[in-house]
Amino acid sequence: MAKRGKAALTVCSTAFITLGRAQAAALGFAQLPIAVIQHPFGIRSRDEVRAMAEKCATEVVRLLDEDAAK
Amino acid sequence: MSAQTERAALVECADDYDAINQLYRDRHWSDGLPIVPPTVARVERMLRHARRPREEVVANVAPGFGAATVERIAVNAVLAGCDPEYMPALIAAVEAVADPEFNLQGIQATTNPVAIWVIVNGPLTREIEVNATFNCLGEGTWANATLGRALRLVLRNIGGALPGEMDRATQGQPGKYTFCCAENEAESPWEPLHVERGFARDQSTVTVVGAEGTMNMNTHAKDAVDLLRVIAETMIHPASNEYCHGGEPWLMISPEHADILKRGGLSKVDVKARLWELTKMPARHMAAKDLLRVKSSRTEELGEIGPDTLLTIAHKPDDICIMVAGGPGTHSVYVPCFGNSHAITRVVATAG
Repeated sequence: MAKRGKAALTVCSTAFITLGRAQAAALGFAQLPIAVIQHPFGIRSRDEVRAMAEKCATEVVRLLDEDAAK
Repeated sequence: MSAQTERAALVECADDYDAINQLYRDRHWSDGLPIVPPTVARVERMLRHARRPREEVVANVAPGFGAATVERIAVNAVLAGCDPEYMPALIAAVEAVADPEFNLQGIQATTNPVAIWVIVNGPLTREIEVNATFNCLGEGTWANATLGRALRLVLRNIGGALPGEMDRATQGQPGKYTFCCAENEAESPWEPLHVERGFARDQSTVTVVGAEGTMNMNTHAKDAVDLLRVIAETMIHPASNEYCHGGEPWLMISPEHADILKRGGLSKVDVKARLWELTKMPARHMAAKDLLRVKSSRTEELGEIGPDTLLTIAHKPDDICIMVAGGPGTHSVYVPCFGNSHAITRVVATAG
Protein backbone atom coordinates (compact mmCIF):
# COMPACT_ATOMS: atom_id res chain seq x y z
CA MET A 1 0.00 0.00 0.00
CA ALA A 2 2.83 2.37 0.84
CA LYS A 3 4.23 1.69 -2.65
CA ARG A 4 0.90 2.91 -4.05
CA GLY A 5 1.13 6.08 -1.99
CA LYS A 6 -1.58 5.01 0.44
CA ALA A 7 -1.29 5.46 4.17
CA ALA A 8 0.09 2.20 5.56
CA LEU A 9 0.84 0.89 9.01
CA THR A 10 1.24 -2.44 10.75
CA VAL A 11 0.49 -3.66 14.24
CA CYS A 12 2.92 -5.87 16.19
CA SER A 13 3.11 -7.20 19.71
CA THR A 14 6.32 -6.40 21.57
CA ALA A 15 7.58 -9.96 20.92
CA PHE A 16 7.37 -9.41 17.17
CA ILE A 17 8.61 -5.84 16.88
CA THR A 18 12.08 -7.00 15.80
CA LEU A 19 10.50 -9.03 13.00
CA GLY A 20 8.27 -6.12 12.01
CA ARG A 21 11.12 -3.64 11.81
CA ALA A 22 13.45 -6.06 10.01
CA GLN A 23 10.86 -7.09 7.46
CA ALA A 24 9.78 -3.51 6.82
CA ALA A 25 13.42 -2.62 6.16
CA ALA A 26 13.90 -5.68 3.95
CA LEU A 27 10.92 -4.61 1.86
CA GLY A 28 12.30 -1.08 1.51
CA PHE A 29 10.09 0.68 4.09
CA ALA A 30 12.29 1.05 7.12
CA GLN A 31 10.18 4.00 8.30
CA LEU A 32 6.88 2.08 8.18
CA PRO A 33 4.85 3.14 11.23
CA ILE A 34 4.26 0.27 13.65
CA ALA A 35 1.73 0.31 16.46
CA VAL A 36 2.94 -1.87 19.31
CA ILE A 37 0.88 -3.96 21.73
CA GLN A 38 2.32 -5.42 24.92
CA HIS A 39 3.00 -9.17 24.63
CA PRO A 40 1.50 -11.58 25.65
CA PHE A 41 -2.20 -10.91 25.26
CA GLY A 42 -3.46 -14.49 24.76
CA ILE A 43 -3.67 -14.91 28.54
CA ARG A 44 -5.54 -11.68 29.19
CA SER A 45 -9.25 -11.38 29.94
CA ARG A 46 -11.66 -10.15 27.30
CA ASP A 47 -12.01 -6.79 29.10
CA GLU A 48 -8.24 -6.37 29.26
CA VAL A 49 -7.92 -7.18 25.56
CA ARG A 50 -10.65 -4.68 24.74
CA ALA A 51 -8.81 -1.98 26.68
CA MET A 52 -5.58 -2.84 24.86
CA ALA A 53 -7.37 -2.70 21.50
CA GLU A 54 -8.86 0.71 22.25
CA LYS A 55 -5.47 2.05 23.27
CA CYS A 56 -3.95 0.57 20.12
CA ALA A 57 -6.64 2.12 17.92
CA THR A 58 -5.77 5.52 19.37
CA GLU A 59 -2.10 4.85 18.64
CA VAL A 60 -2.92 3.82 15.05
CA VAL A 61 -4.71 7.13 14.47
CA ARG A 62 -1.81 9.07 16.00
CA LEU A 63 0.78 7.29 13.84
CA LEU A 64 -1.22 7.78 10.66
CA ASP A 65 -1.71 11.50 11.41
CA GLU A 66 2.01 11.82 12.14
CA ASP A 67 2.87 10.03 8.90
CA ALA A 68 0.48 12.22 6.88
CA ALA A 69 2.07 15.36 8.32
CA LYS A 70 5.55 14.42 7.01
CA MET B 1 11.03 -15.07 -12.20
CA SER B 2 12.81 -12.20 -13.88
CA ALA B 3 16.55 -12.31 -14.29
CA GLN B 4 18.74 -9.91 -12.38
CA THR B 5 22.41 -9.10 -12.67
CA GLU B 6 23.39 -8.53 -9.05
CA ARG B 7 26.26 -10.87 -8.21
CA ALA B 8 27.26 -12.37 -4.91
CA ALA B 9 29.78 -10.11 -3.18
CA LEU B 10 33.45 -11.04 -3.00
CA VAL B 11 34.84 -10.78 0.51
CA GLU B 12 38.58 -10.93 1.07
CA CYS B 13 39.83 -12.76 4.12
CA ALA B 14 43.09 -14.24 5.37
CA ASP B 15 43.74 -17.68 3.90
CA ASP B 16 43.19 -19.29 7.26
CA TYR B 17 40.39 -21.68 8.15
CA ASP B 18 39.91 -20.34 11.66
CA ALA B 19 39.87 -16.72 10.48
CA ILE B 20 37.31 -17.49 7.81
CA ASN B 21 35.05 -19.26 10.28
CA GLN B 22 35.42 -16.37 12.71
CA LEU B 23 34.29 -14.00 9.95
CA TYR B 24 31.22 -16.17 9.38
CA ARG B 25 30.46 -16.22 13.10
CA ASP B 26 30.84 -12.46 13.40
CA ARG B 27 28.56 -11.79 10.46
CA HIS B 28 25.95 -14.43 11.40
CA TRP B 29 26.42 -16.17 8.06
CA SER B 30 26.51 -19.68 9.51
CA ASP B 31 24.08 -21.96 11.32
CA GLY B 32 26.39 -22.31 14.31
CA LEU B 33 28.52 -25.05 12.78
CA PRO B 34 31.85 -24.55 10.96
CA ILE B 35 31.50 -23.87 7.26
CA VAL B 36 33.38 -24.84 4.11
CA PRO B 37 34.97 -21.62 2.81
CA PRO B 38 33.13 -20.63 -0.38
CA THR B 39 36.13 -19.77 -2.51
CA VAL B 40 35.58 -18.66 -6.09
CA ALA B 41 36.85 -22.03 -7.31
CA ARG B 42 34.45 -24.00 -5.14
CA VAL B 43 31.47 -21.83 -6.13
CA GLU B 44 32.36 -22.14 -9.81
CA ARG B 45 32.54 -25.93 -9.46
CA MET B 46 29.09 -25.90 -7.87
CA LEU B 47 27.72 -23.70 -10.66
CA ARG B 48 28.88 -26.13 -13.35
CA HIS B 49 26.26 -28.58 -12.03
CA ALA B 50 23.44 -26.07 -11.65
CA ARG B 51 22.01 -26.39 -15.18
CA ARG B 52 20.73 -22.79 -14.79
CA PRO B 53 22.36 -19.36 -15.43
CA ARG B 54 24.18 -18.04 -12.39
CA GLU B 55 22.26 -14.76 -12.36
CA GLU B 56 18.81 -16.32 -12.61
CA VAL B 57 16.58 -15.58 -9.63
CA VAL B 58 15.11 -18.88 -8.48
CA ALA B 59 13.00 -17.29 -5.75
CA ASN B 60 12.66 -14.34 -3.43
CA VAL B 61 12.98 -15.91 0.00
CA ALA B 62 10.69 -14.73 2.82
CA PRO B 63 10.71 -13.08 5.28
CA GLY B 64 13.50 -10.76 4.05
CA PHE B 65 12.72 -11.52 0.39
CA GLY B 66 16.35 -11.75 -0.60
CA ALA B 67 16.91 -12.79 -4.21
CA ALA B 68 18.01 -16.42 -4.33
CA THR B 69 20.04 -16.37 -7.51
CA VAL B 70 21.59 -19.61 -8.68
CA GLU B 71 24.96 -18.18 -7.69
CA ARG B 72 23.88 -17.33 -4.15
CA ILE B 73 22.35 -20.77 -3.77
CA ALA B 74 25.68 -22.22 -4.92
CA VAL B 75 27.55 -20.22 -2.27
CA ASN B 76 25.32 -21.69 0.44
CA ALA B 77 25.72 -25.17 -1.02
CA VAL B 78 29.49 -24.80 -0.65
CA LEU B 79 29.12 -23.49 2.91
CA ALA B 80 27.08 -26.55 3.82
CA GLY B 81 29.54 -29.01 2.30
CA CYS B 82 27.35 -30.18 -0.59
CA ASP B 83 28.79 -32.14 -3.48
CA PRO B 84 28.24 -30.18 -6.73
CA GLU B 85 25.92 -32.93 -7.96
CA TYR B 86 23.40 -31.89 -5.28
CA MET B 87 22.85 -28.45 -6.83
CA PRO B 88 19.79 -29.28 -8.99
CA ALA B 89 18.03 -30.81 -5.97
CA LEU B 90 18.84 -27.78 -3.83
CA ILE B 91 17.57 -25.40 -6.50
CA ALA B 92 14.33 -27.40 -6.76
CA ALA B 93 13.94 -27.23 -2.97
CA VAL B 94 14.37 -23.44 -3.01
CA GLU B 95 11.75 -23.19 -5.76
CA ALA B 96 9.42 -25.39 -3.73
CA VAL B 97 9.62 -23.43 -0.48
CA ALA B 98 8.83 -20.21 -2.36
CA ASP B 99 5.52 -21.57 -3.65
CA PRO B 100 2.80 -19.44 -2.00
CA GLU B 101 0.94 -22.59 -0.93
CA PHE B 102 3.91 -23.50 1.25
CA ASN B 103 3.55 -20.28 3.30
CA LEU B 104 7.26 -19.67 3.82
CA GLN B 105 6.54 -16.32 5.43
CA GLY B 106 4.59 -18.05 8.19
CA ILE B 107 7.08 -20.88 8.55
CA GLN B 108 10.12 -18.62 8.76
CA ALA B 109 8.70 -16.03 11.14
CA THR B 110 6.51 -18.10 13.48
CA THR B 111 7.01 -18.96 17.15
CA ASN B 112 6.30 -22.60 16.13
CA PRO B 113 9.36 -24.92 15.97
CA VAL B 114 8.61 -25.83 12.35
CA ALA B 115 11.56 -26.99 10.24
CA ILE B 116 11.58 -27.82 6.55
CA TRP B 117 11.77 -31.53 5.77
CA VAL B 118 13.11 -32.31 2.31
CA ILE B 119 12.07 -35.66 0.81
CA VAL B 120 13.88 -36.84 -2.31
CA ASN B 121 12.28 -39.30 -4.76
CA GLY B 122 13.24 -40.88 -8.05
CA PRO B 123 16.49 -41.98 -9.69
CA LEU B 124 18.43 -39.06 -8.22
CA THR B 125 18.26 -40.64 -4.77
CA ARG B 126 20.54 -43.43 -5.99
CA GLU B 127 22.76 -41.13 -8.09
CA ILE B 128 23.62 -38.81 -5.22
CA GLU B 129 23.08 -41.46 -2.52
CA VAL B 130 20.38 -39.92 -0.38
CA ASN B 131 19.76 -42.29 2.51
CA ALA B 132 16.28 -43.83 2.68
CA THR B 133 17.04 -46.72 5.00
CA PHE B 134 18.90 -47.16 8.32
CA ASN B 135 19.05 -43.91 10.32
CA CYS B 136 17.81 -41.89 7.34
CA LEU B 137 16.85 -38.98 9.61
CA GLY B 138 19.99 -39.35 11.67
CA GLU B 139 23.60 -38.53 11.05
CA GLY B 140 26.12 -40.20 8.81
CA THR B 141 25.02 -39.65 5.20
CA TRP B 142 26.65 -36.81 3.31
CA ALA B 143 23.73 -35.94 1.04
CA ASN B 144 21.11 -35.99 3.82
CA ALA B 145 23.29 -33.90 6.10
CA THR B 146 24.49 -31.28 3.65
CA LEU B 147 21.47 -30.88 1.38
CA GLY B 148 19.20 -30.14 4.32
CA ARG B 149 21.83 -27.89 5.84
CA ALA B 150 22.25 -25.96 2.60
CA LEU B 151 18.53 -25.23 2.43
CA ARG B 152 18.64 -23.94 6.02
CA LEU B 153 21.57 -21.67 5.13
CA VAL B 154 19.61 -20.30 2.14
CA LEU B 155 16.68 -19.59 4.49
CA ARG B 156 19.00 -17.73 6.89
CA ASN B 157 21.47 -16.03 4.61
CA ILE B 158 19.14 -15.12 1.74
CA GLY B 159 15.78 -15.19 3.53
CA GLY B 160 17.14 -13.35 6.56
CA ALA B 161 15.50 -15.65 9.13
CA LEU B 162 17.92 -15.23 12.02
CA PRO B 163 16.75 -16.54 15.40
CA GLY B 164 15.50 -13.80 17.68
CA GLU B 165 15.27 -11.41 14.76
CA MET B 166 12.96 -12.48 11.95
CA ASP B 167 12.89 -16.13 13.05
CA ARG B 168 10.70 -15.97 16.15
CA ALA B 169 10.75 -19.69 17.05
CA THR B 170 10.16 -20.14 20.77
CA GLN B 171 12.52 -23.14 20.95
CA GLY B 172 13.02 -24.35 17.38
CA GLN B 173 14.14 -27.95 16.94
CA PRO B 174 17.21 -29.97 15.85
CA GLY B 175 15.65 -30.43 12.40
CA LYS B 176 16.46 -26.80 11.69
CA TYR B 177 20.10 -27.84 11.19
CA THR B 178 19.14 -30.40 8.57
CA PHE B 179 16.03 -32.49 7.85
CA CYS B 180 16.40 -34.48 4.66
CA CYS B 181 15.96 -38.06 3.50
CA ALA B 182 14.77 -40.09 0.54
CA GLU B 183 11.79 -42.38 0.29
CA ASN B 184 12.61 -46.08 0.48
CA GLU B 185 10.89 -46.79 -2.83
CA ALA B 186 12.50 -50.20 -3.19
CA GLU B 187 10.85 -51.52 -0.04
CA SER B 188 7.55 -49.67 -0.28
CA PRO B 189 4.54 -51.80 -1.20
CA TRP B 190 2.82 -48.73 -2.63
CA GLU B 191 3.49 -46.23 -5.40
CA PRO B 192 6.24 -43.75 -4.51
CA LEU B 193 5.31 -40.39 -3.06
CA HIS B 194 6.17 -38.47 -6.23
CA VAL B 195 4.09 -40.80 -8.39
CA GLU B 196 1.15 -40.35 -6.04
CA ARG B 197 1.63 -36.59 -6.45
CA GLY B 198 1.43 -36.75 -10.24
CA PHE B 199 5.01 -37.24 -11.42
CA ALA B 200 6.51 -40.02 -13.50
CA ARG B 201 8.37 -42.80 -11.74
CA ASP B 202 11.56 -42.00 -13.66
CA GLN B 203 11.46 -38.32 -12.72
CA SER B 204 13.34 -37.11 -9.68
CA THR B 205 11.64 -34.74 -7.26
CA VAL B 206 12.01 -32.98 -3.97
CA THR B 207 9.06 -32.49 -1.66
CA VAL B 208 9.22 -29.89 1.09
CA VAL B 209 7.15 -30.23 4.26
CA GLY B 210 6.64 -27.78 7.14
CA ALA B 211 7.42 -30.26 9.91
CA GLU B 212 6.98 -29.61 13.63
CA GLY B 213 9.15 -32.55 14.63
CA THR B 214 9.23 -36.33 14.80
CA MET B 215 7.33 -38.67 17.12
CA ASN B 216 8.53 -42.25 17.12
CA MET B 217 5.92 -45.02 17.13
CA ASN B 218 7.44 -48.32 18.24
CA THR B 219 4.81 -51.02 17.90
CA HIS B 220 5.01 -54.75 17.32
CA ALA B 221 1.40 -54.80 16.11
CA LYS B 222 0.98 -57.65 13.64
CA ASP B 223 -2.27 -56.81 11.95
CA ALA B 224 -3.33 -53.73 10.06
CA VAL B 225 -6.32 -52.85 12.24
CA ASP B 226 -4.27 -52.92 15.42
CA LEU B 227 -1.44 -50.99 13.80
CA LEU B 228 -3.69 -48.24 12.49
CA ARG B 229 -5.39 -47.91 15.87
CA VAL B 230 -2.14 -47.17 17.72
CA ILE B 231 -0.88 -44.87 14.99
CA ALA B 232 -4.12 -42.91 15.17
CA GLU B 233 -4.00 -42.68 18.95
CA THR B 234 -0.45 -41.32 18.71
CA MET B 235 -1.55 -38.68 16.23
CA ILE B 236 -4.36 -37.44 18.47
CA HIS B 237 -3.06 -34.56 20.57
CA PRO B 238 -5.04 -31.51 21.59
CA ALA B 239 -2.24 -28.93 21.60
CA SER B 240 -2.03 -29.21 17.85
CA ASN B 241 -2.02 -26.83 14.92
CA GLU B 242 -3.48 -29.64 12.83
CA TYR B 243 -6.71 -29.90 14.82
CA CYS B 244 -6.81 -26.14 15.23
CA HIS B 245 -6.59 -25.27 11.55
CA GLY B 246 -6.93 -28.56 9.65
CA GLY B 247 -3.50 -29.80 8.75
CA GLU B 248 -1.35 -32.04 6.65
CA PRO B 249 -0.05 -34.64 9.09
CA TRP B 250 2.75 -36.83 7.72
CA LEU B 251 3.62 -40.42 8.45
CA MET B 252 6.97 -41.99 7.72
CA ILE B 253 5.97 -45.63 7.70
CA SER B 254 8.73 -48.20 8.14
CA PRO B 255 8.93 -50.93 5.49
CA GLU B 256 7.84 -53.55 8.06
CA HIS B 257 4.76 -51.58 9.08
CA ALA B 258 3.98 -50.79 5.43
CA ASP B 259 4.12 -54.51 4.69
CA ILE B 260 1.62 -55.23 7.49
CA LEU B 261 -0.76 -52.63 6.09
CA LYS B 262 -0.38 -53.95 2.56
CA ARG B 263 -0.95 -57.55 3.69
CA GLY B 264 -4.06 -56.25 5.44
CA GLY B 265 -5.31 -55.32 1.98
CA LEU B 266 -4.89 -51.60 2.42
CA SER B 267 -3.80 -49.16 -0.25
CA LYS B 268 -2.43 -45.74 0.72
CA VAL B 269 -5.88 -44.28 0.03
CA ASP B 270 -7.41 -46.83 2.40
CA VAL B 271 -4.88 -46.04 5.13
CA LYS B 272 -5.57 -42.32 4.81
CA ALA B 273 -9.33 -42.81 4.92
CA ARG B 274 -9.18 -45.03 8.01
CA LEU B 275 -6.76 -42.76 9.85
CA TRP B 276 -8.90 -39.74 9.08
CA GLU B 277 -11.81 -41.46 10.84
CA LEU B 278 -9.77 -42.91 13.69
CA THR B 279 -8.07 -39.62 14.54
CA LYS B 280 -11.28 -37.67 15.09
CA MET B 281 -10.99 -35.98 18.47
CA PRO B 282 -13.76 -34.50 20.65
CA ALA B 283 -13.27 -30.74 20.74
CA ARG B 284 -13.52 -30.74 24.55
CA HIS B 285 -9.99 -32.20 24.69
CA MET B 286 -8.62 -28.82 23.67
CA ALA B 287 -7.95 -25.98 26.09
CA ALA B 288 -10.91 -23.62 26.31
CA LYS B 289 -8.92 -20.82 24.71
CA ASP B 290 -7.75 -23.11 21.91
CA LEU B 291 -11.32 -24.16 21.28
CA LEU B 292 -12.09 -20.51 20.55
CA ARG B 293 -9.26 -20.56 17.99
CA VAL B 294 -10.73 -23.70 16.42
CA LYS B 295 -14.14 -22.03 16.20
CA SER B 296 -12.58 -19.04 14.51
CA SER B 297 -10.62 -21.21 12.09
CA ARG B 298 -12.95 -24.11 11.26
CA THR B 299 -16.62 -23.15 11.82
CA GLU B 300 -17.12 -22.57 8.10
CA GLU B 301 -15.79 -26.08 7.41
CA LEU B 302 -17.33 -28.02 10.31
CA GLY B 303 -20.43 -26.00 11.21
CA GLU B 304 -21.19 -24.99 14.79
CA ILE B 305 -18.43 -26.36 17.03
CA GLY B 306 -19.18 -27.44 20.59
CA PRO B 307 -17.33 -29.58 23.13
CA ASP B 308 -18.67 -32.80 21.59
CA THR B 309 -17.87 -31.91 18.00
CA LEU B 310 -15.48 -34.43 16.48
CA LEU B 311 -12.56 -32.47 15.05
CA THR B 312 -10.71 -33.99 12.11
CA ILE B 313 -6.94 -33.79 11.99
CA ALA B 314 -7.11 -32.65 8.35
CA HIS B 315 -9.74 -31.15 6.08
CA LYS B 316 -9.99 -34.38 4.08
CA PRO B 317 -8.47 -37.88 4.18
CA ASP B 318 -6.12 -37.22 1.30
CA ASP B 319 -4.44 -34.45 3.30
CA ILE B 320 -2.90 -37.14 5.50
CA CYS B 321 0.43 -37.76 3.80
CA ILE B 322 2.33 -41.04 3.75
CA MET B 323 5.82 -41.99 2.70
CA VAL B 324 7.85 -45.13 3.41
CA ALA B 325 11.36 -44.88 4.80
CA GLY B 326 13.75 -46.45 7.24
CA GLY B 327 15.52 -49.77 7.65
CA PRO B 328 14.36 -52.94 9.38
CA GLY B 329 12.52 -52.38 12.66
CA THR B 330 9.14 -51.79 14.20
CA HIS B 331 9.42 -48.01 14.25
CA SER B 332 7.35 -45.57 12.23
CA VAL B 333 7.33 -41.82 12.65
CA TYR B 334 4.52 -39.32 13.00
CA VAL B 335 5.52 -35.88 11.72
CA PRO B 336 3.00 -33.29 12.91
CA CYS B 337 2.92 -30.28 10.66
CA PHE B 338 2.67 -26.53 10.86
CA GLY B 339 -1.01 -26.42 9.94
CA ASN B 340 -1.07 -23.41 7.65
CA SER B 341 1.10 -24.94 4.95
CA HIS B 342 0.87 -27.39 2.09
CA ALA B 343 3.74 -29.66 1.07
CA ILE B 344 5.12 -28.81 -2.36
CA THR B 345 6.82 -31.14 -4.84
CA ARG B 346 9.14 -29.94 -7.62
CA VAL B 347 10.94 -31.81 -10.36
CA VAL B 348 14.73 -31.81 -10.18
CA ALA B 349 16.39 -30.89 -13.47
CA THR B 350 18.65 -33.81 -14.26
CA ALA B 351 20.98 -34.65 -17.13
CA GLY B 352 19.58 -35.80 -20.45
